[in-house]
Amino acid sequence: MELSLGTLGSAAAALALGLSLYALVAGTLGAARRDARLQTSARLTAVAVFLATTTAVLVMQAALLTDDFSVKYVAEQSRIDAPTWVKVVTLWAALEGSVLLWAWLLTGYTAALAMTTPNHALRAWALAVMQGVQVFFLGVVAIVANPFVVLANPPFDGPGANPLLQNHWMMAVHPVLMYLGFVGLTVPFAFAMAALITRRPGTEWMQLTRRWTLAGWGFLTAAIIAGGWWSYEVLGWGGYWAWDPVENVSFMPWLTATAFIHSVQVQERRRMLKSWNVLLIVLTFSLTILGTFLTRSGVVSSVHAFGDGPVGPVFLAFFVLVALFSLGLVAWRWDQVRDRAELDAAVSREGAFLLVNVLFLALTFTVLIGTLFPLIVEAVDGARVTVGAPFFDVVSLPMWMLVLLLMGIGPLLPWRKAETQSLTRNLAWMLAGGGLAAGAALAFGLREVYPVLTIGLAGWNLTSLALLLAGAVVPRARLTGRSLASASVRYAFEQRRKVGSMIVHFGVVVVALGIAGSSGYRTDVQLRLPYGERVAFNQYELQALAPFSERTAGRVSVGVEVAVFQAGRQVDLLRPHINAFGTSSMTVPTAAVRYTPGHDLYLSIAGAVDPRADAVIIRVIQSPLITWIWIGAVILALGTVWTLVPARSLGPATAPAAAGQRARA
Amino acid sequence: MRRLAPAVWAAAAAWLLLGQVAAQDVVLDPRVFEIGRELRCPTCVAESVSESNASIAREMRQIIQEQLDAGRTRSEILGFFQDRYGDWILLEPPRRGLLLLVWLLPVAAALGAGAGLVALMRRWRAAGEQVAEVAPEDLARVRAALAATGDGGTADAGDRPTPRTPAPRP
Amino acid sequence: MRRVALVVAIVGGLSALFVFGLLRGAPDRNVPSNLLGRPVPTFVLPVYERYLADFGPRLSLADHVGRPMVINFWASWCGPCYVEAPHLEAAHRRYGDEVLFIGVQTQERDARVAGRAFIERFDFTFPNVIDDDSRVSIAYGLFGVPETFFVHADGTLDHKHVGPVDARLLTERVEALRR
Repeated sequence: MELSLGTLGSAAAALALGLSLYALVAGTLGAARRDARLQTSARLTAVAVFLATTTAVLVMQAALLTDDFSVKYVAEQSRIDAPTWVKVVTLWAALEGSVLLWAWLLTGYTAALAMTTPNHALRAWALAVMQGVQVFFLGVVAIVANPFVVLANPPFDGPGANPLLQNHWMMAVHPVLMYLGFVGLTVPFAFAMAALITRRPGTEWMQLTRRWTLAGWGFLTAAIIAGGWWSYEVLGWGGYWAWDPVENVSFMPWLTATAFIHSVQVQERRRMLKSWNVLLIVLTFSLTILGTFLTRSGVVSSVHAFGDGPVGPVFLAFFVLVALFSLGLVAWRWDQVRDRAELDAAVSREGAFLLVNVLFLALTFTVLIGTLFPLIVEAVDGARVTVGAPFFDVVSLPMWMLVLLLMGIGPLLPWRKAETQSLTRNLAWMLAGGGLAAGAALAFGLREVYPVLTIGLAGWNLTSLALLLAGAVVPRARLTGRSLASASVRYAFEQRRKVGSMIVHFGVVVVALGIAGSSGYRTDVQLRLPYGERVAFNQYELQALAPFSERTAGRVSVGVEVAVFQAGRQVDLLRPHINAFGTSSMTVPTAAVRYTPGHDLYLSIAGAVDPRADAVIIRVIQSPLITWIWIGAVILALGTVWTLVPARSLGPATAPAAAGQRARA
Repeated sequence: MRRLAPAVWAAAAAWLLLGQVAAQDVVLDPRVFEIGRELRCPTCVAESVSESNASIAREMRQIIQEQLDAGRTRSEILGFFQDRYGDWILLEPPRRGLLLLVWLLPVAAALGAGAGLVALMRRWRAAGEQVAEVAPEDLARVRAALAATGDGGTADAGDRPTPRTPAPRP
Repeated sequence: MRRVALVVAIVGGLSALFVFGLLRGAPDRNVPSNLLGRPVPTFVLPVYERYLADFGPRLSLADHVGRPMVINFWASWCGPCYVEAPHLEAAHRRYGDEVLFIGVQTQERDARVAGRAFIERFDFTFPNVIDDDSRVSIAYGLFGVPETFFVHADGTLDHKHVGPVDARLLTERVEALRR
């Protein structure tokens, strides 16, 4: 057998699979028998698996970058004259490569876990579970959908990746973030399984994995919003979320994971909601695997779906295995996980978190029903229906409003029982803040229900955050004799979790406002722009100047230059165009966007650009506040990072002068 | 058009007589895109008529504009396409028969979850307020111990659990 | 035991649903026509030059109700249309006395040149018309091309086939129309 990249890659994948199987067996035996040697062997093997998978990834990249068309995946997905960055991201552009990326990230996480987790009763079993998941993904890479298959007659060139995936640099970022999120959330799942197996359903498994969980959640959040921004820039209809089935299946684990990261705090504090937490993480992981199944099997119709053939049944089998194993484990250990809880009052932090769980689960169920409904109807009736964005918007919006409401009042509620006086006072402030905001919106002439409600809830939430901050910082400043600013900074550095969560909630408010503005008050028209004439649109005037065409590596662009005038002065020059890639007949209209903090002006070519015509048809969209979604996402990410970095003390608590005063007093 | 020779112009006029008007050369107002968001593009994979750039989507937007100009309402226009394509073309399933389920199930789930939550909270609250049963000998021992420490424990001290004070604000 | 049964029931139900999904193949490529059993929409469309002598500048479907019809929608950019074209022509030559075959070029604009090339390549002797603005294909509820409609003599739709037709299917369906 000659040593080509294809055989090298297949060998690396097979090696990784074999090592992973060994680690699974050794790890399970070592955990069951508490055999330290076997456990250590499994841990070290985890690192070896990571190295083997890395080799496979590097081999694939080498094949892509050197245009080695004897490798099946390269022949199917790549092109000689594609730009280098496109060749690099082609690794995850299609099914086989995306599974390889997932497997690689998974082996990386497992190796890191194996080497950094302190020796603990849960560690061995958790690693064994991770290896089990790994065996599946590596098995798909090595056996079911092997990208390294060597072609006997390699073609001279390939068709290139899907044009939609070459159109924007976000292709390099979004899938990686998404997989980092999914893989990251596998860690708490593995530890939860370990906790059930070892009959330690307490808080250990959550505390050990807290940072992993938050990081995974953070990546998933970033991935979903990044995907929205990518849709916005690439797809030409000025939207960012279509409730497409594949979008939904990435959203559902996020919903349950968000409920989970809130609910675990109740278990940390009050030893309550154990069963909820275990079920939430099981649900999160199961939904992740369900998501990969639906995306890669072609069972639901989606613009994102890719994959066919034998992969579908394999992923279904794994989903059934995961669901039966995890739920079976929960059922088996139910007596230990069951809540024998005592609740002092419904109006308390526990009560609020419980409500969060219920709300997010209801949302998850709604999205699941909507996504699967066409399939269910077809199975029952044979009839064909579609469940699209209008349904999801109508049914979920009320629940989102409740979430925003809860997000405001929750952090202000004390544990155990809310004391009426302070609760009423806080509520009064927040109602005032919310009412003021909503009133201002109405005064501005806004009349749509949900945007006004969102603005009111933004006021409600901002007041809540101010109350939280003031309630924490003012006493600190008084006690330590420092200034408010200094006390705030110290508070921020010392109370990472609290301040981090405040930043994240603030980010959510910003995102909510962005969504309210861009959905409620969007202007969407199609205009005919004769060359050289100014056409009015809202507060702008648009003038199509001239068509243009450019050729860069692997693509041809044809577009129109449009000058944008405001109050008579030219403020921008936008160049919406249509890209054609390589040999594909598929053209991708690429929008040109003018970003301002208040709104976006979005131009996209509708139809063809005919150089002989005297006008061009442009779709013009103005979306108010849409940039706030992306800004809010950045704030969310920063807040998550803030929470993850360990707290440190900033020197003595009391200011030296004050300490001196008190000593004398 | 100005540049065309008369013969070609005649041919073009004949063409025009046959009712061929370029759909793209028409301005579309915002209502078209609103209605288009509720219709599915037939040749695309899961895109709405407002989102898609496919030729049939563009033609459908043109049809919607013409029908709006003719004074038809939103439901009439949706019904026009539903008549030709069936329920499948609507992105919001019609509310009848089996399809009602997709609307009812989430509402039922939310209500059921809410009711379950209330029941759960009630049960937990009751558990919280339950007085633990204590054997009389143990009660006597506690009282004796309290008296011994000079706490001035009253006869009531052992009967009821002390009321819980709210935990200090975090 | 009850808990285990619940778990198995939920997972089992979902699995059954997904197995059904896997077995039934690609979704939304074969939605049944809403016109079945109903009169097909009539149209008046311009014909290609080849047929001017026999059919005049425009073909009106309403004039031809009374004969069974096979209406085939195609486009010059559609690959499977090239595959089915010879079978259509052969079927026309066999059944053309009783059954009227009509080809409709749709879902492309200003494509006369390409359309003419398509017709000449397969030597279509049955009339082909031009649906330049795709209104007729929308009226017929087309999901793509090619699609073929088998119409009774009374003008109602007997069967719609999505995708390319082959000789066997054509024979089967046309025989059904003749009865």
